[in-house]
Amino acid sequence: MRPVWIAGAVVLLALYETAVALIAPSLAPTDADWAAAALAVRADFRAGDLIVAAPAWADPILRVHLGDLIPAEVAGRLDDARFGRVWEVGQRGAHAPEAAAGAVAFERRFGRLTVRRVERPAERVDYDFVAHWSDARVSRIGVGGTVACATVGDRIQCPGFNYNYVRRQIVEVDTRLREALLAQPVGNSTVVIEYPAVRLGQTLVVATGLHDVWMRKAARGTVEMRVIVGGQAQTLPTTDDDSGWTRTRIDTAARAGQTVPVRFEITSPAPYARHFAFAAEARG
Amino acid sequence: MRRLGPRGLDRLLTFALALAAVVWLLGVEGRQGFGRDESQYMRAGERYWGWFEELGTNLAHGKLRQSFTASDIDHYWSDNAPDHPVIMKTLYGLSWRAFHTCTCMGPARGLHPLPIRGRHRTLPLFSRDSTAFRFPAILFAGLLVGMVFRFARAWLPRPAAAAAAILTLAQPHYFFHAQIACFDAPIATMAFAVGFAYWKSLRNPRWGIATGVLFGIALGIKHNAWLMPFFLVAHYLWMRRGDWRARRLPRVPLAFLSMLVLGPIIFLLHWPWLWNAPIARTRAYVLRHLDHEHYNFEYLGWNWNQPPTTTKMKLLRATAPFVETGLTVPVTTLALAAFGAAALARRRRKQALFPESEPEAPTATRVSWLRPGADVDRAPGAFILFQTLGPLCVLAIPSTPIFGGVKHFLTAMPYLALLSGIGLASIARGLAQALPDARAGLRRAAPVALAVVVCLPAVIETRRSHPDGLGHYNLLAGGFAGGASLGMNRQFWGYSVLPMLPDLDRRVPENRALFWHDVLSDAISMYKREGRLSMGVGDTGFGEDGIKRSELGILFYEKHWAKYEGWFWEIYGTTQPAYVRDREGVPMVTLYRRPGTR
Repeated sequence: MRPVWIAGAVVLLALYETAVALIAPSLAPTDADWAAAALAVRADFRAGDLIVAAPAWADPILRVHLGDLIPAEVAGRLDDARFGRVWEVGQRGAHAPEAAAGAVAFERRFGRLTVRRVERPAERVDYDFVAHWSDARVSRIGVGGTVACATVGDRIQCPGFNYNYVRRQIVEVDTRLREALLAQPVGNSTVVIEYPAVRLGQTLVVATGLHDVWMRKAARGTVEMRVIVGGQAQTLPTTDDDSGWTRTRIDTAARAGQTVPVRFEITSPAPYARHFAFAAEARG
Repeated sequence: MRRLGPRGLDRLLTFALALAAVVWLLGVEGRQGFGRDESQYMRAGERYWGWFEELGTNLAHGKLRQSFTASDIDHYWSDNAPDHPVIMKTLYGLSWRAFHTCTCMGPARGLHPLPIRGRHRTLPLFSRDSTAFRFPAILFAGLLVGMVFRFARAWLPRPAAAAAAILTLAQPHYFFHAQIACFDAPIATMAFAVGFAYWKSLRNPRWGIATGVLFGIALGIKHNAWLMPFFLVAHYLWMRRGDWRARRLPRVPLAFLSMLVLGPIIFLLHWPWLWNAPIARTRAYVLRHLDHEHYNFEYLGWNWNQPPTTTKMKLLRATAPFVETGLTVPVTTLALAAFGAAALARRRRKQALFPESEPEAPTATRVSWLRPGADVDRAPGAFILFQTLGPLCVLAIPSTPIFGGVKHFLTAMPYLALLSGIGLASIARGLAQALPDARAGLRRAAPVALAVVVCLPAVIETRRSHPDGLGHYNLLAGGFAGGASLGMNRQFWGYSVLPMLPDLDRRVPENRALFWHDVLSDAISMYKREGRLSMGVGDTGFGEDGIKRSELGILFYEKHWAKYEGWFWEIYGTTQPAYVRDREGVPMVTLYRRPGTR
């Protein structure tokens, strides 16, 4: 390559890099852009809508402007299948995976932001196991037999081990927040969480994972969960440090419309620091 | 007026470049907050000063030995031990004592790590305590810039050498570390100083002794110094590969003997904490770093906090230092470095890199341990290659922690900038030769103009990145936003709260119960000492209980802190932050306010 061309290419690169460095800061959305976008979302927002940011890292700023419409149970949702209308506040051409499928019913730019509303068929939730946590009967089956647990304040506490409880809380699985039930396994025992009367739909969706980044660092043990729906058992994938938030769909179409007991059994061969969390929904 | 000769001009430029670096850093450091580590080093530095102060008192009272008793030494020097040796921390403490503007008898009197018995008489160069603490680190950065120019001048014309010096400083991540009272930028200076001295020692025995002294100082700054001999030995064995071919062992050069002897002596002498139990405490220090915890760190969307176990993750992890370099160093600098590597690869053995460069032809025929590079080509390409890639390769080993990001291999960066300078000289030379003889003026101006143009993006990018250099990524990544989208680390250790302090200070009375998340109490004390925070601002402590006690709280965005945001949602009963501090739209720090508070 001729030296003049090389020098020219380097000069062009330097000037381009300089120009981008000077211009890039002005490409970020302003407070006014966010305020205008939030106004547009509020104007047509309906209860049960989902609002997401694209890219996802902009979510905290989205919540500054629209956080009152994103309660913890929505922000920490099991997944987005229950939402028929998804508002996406995007920037820099990014799209949220939650708004990937469906028809775009609304799209408008607000400065550096683009608001889209995507509409698609939603899955109906017939029974939310996290919301109905207080319906659950919790027990521990061990060498000495079955021990019943009792509601104490914000949790269902089992005797003997202070960490042996079931509690609805915001958990961190794979560094994302979820609203779930925290239920740590106990050595040589099975932690049983039974919902006596669950109205089933077409599917039962169960999501599992290990809560707390430091606990995932502290141990390598695995956790098993078995789900018994009306007497029929199904073992879920083993949960370990790298499982993330794993969703399993159990086909309950044959019993759709029936009200049956649903029982979750949790065991672990190495339960130390295993902050097992799960959420489940019976969907129509 | 007498005209400056070439050597005088070089000296003047060395000084000017170093001074410009110091002025630039001093001009902006006040906008950068205190990380967890820096605030600890400031505290330790002030405590170490206490020992010197007591030493003076004891000397005056004829009780000098008292300062050297085990209890006295441990009282002052146990702070931040066995974590890090004390040369820089001692300099930080001495600089603070000498140059701060004393308001020590005011309301912040109780926030010092040692009792303040009276107003300090100082040379009040700096209005803030922290600037006085940071000053030695900034001087080290200036020293590095000057040294890179001097080293480069042996090979390169002035414009390219000056560009290499500027490109050393004008790297957002290096620039971030260059202005704080930590060790990463100073050890980069020392890695270059040791390399420089070693290089000179190859044909000049005086530098052999100097190499050992500088290595001892490096050992007293940070443990990266342990790696320096490996990279130098690698070069030495390559340079003397003729010995292997002739089936004789290369002689151990004076520089290595000097490092072996003077290094440990200086290390042991410089650190009083070691004196009480030299073997046990040196062992504790070494083990502290050989078995260092893997703190959380985000890289390519994953949170890394322990050595990977699967092959796929090991391979991904091994890319970290190379990808981080590729996405943080200005792209023009990287491109020039590629040209520099090509120029070094093209160089013929025993020929100078450029006609005007230091000759590589042997100057002696006999092998000598005093001048081990005199009878051979010194292999400059291999020298720069090992100094640049060595630190990166060490950090590529999957079992090494990567929590510091670029700072863990910052010692490579001045050599990378040197490589860029070589690339620039190579391009400028080609350009000058291509220009017609009739355009003599243009021929002379072209290298200078080219040097200015290639430094421009690096300087602008660095300026743009400040004070959030850790979250800044280059053109290839797409800046702050691109880095966030790629899942690259944005920050660590709570430094980025500083721009929020005025707002936090105004939020009375909620700020009486403020949850500071990752900001250490030492940093909060320093903010108060400097008047950047009112004395009444509270600190509710760490973890979930800290949030429960708070009315107002901040949260730093790092992947592993998500749990803390969950606590805010539960305890405050809202997912809606009161404010988010961002850079170019990328969240850095969030402020939550408990609903219902005034």
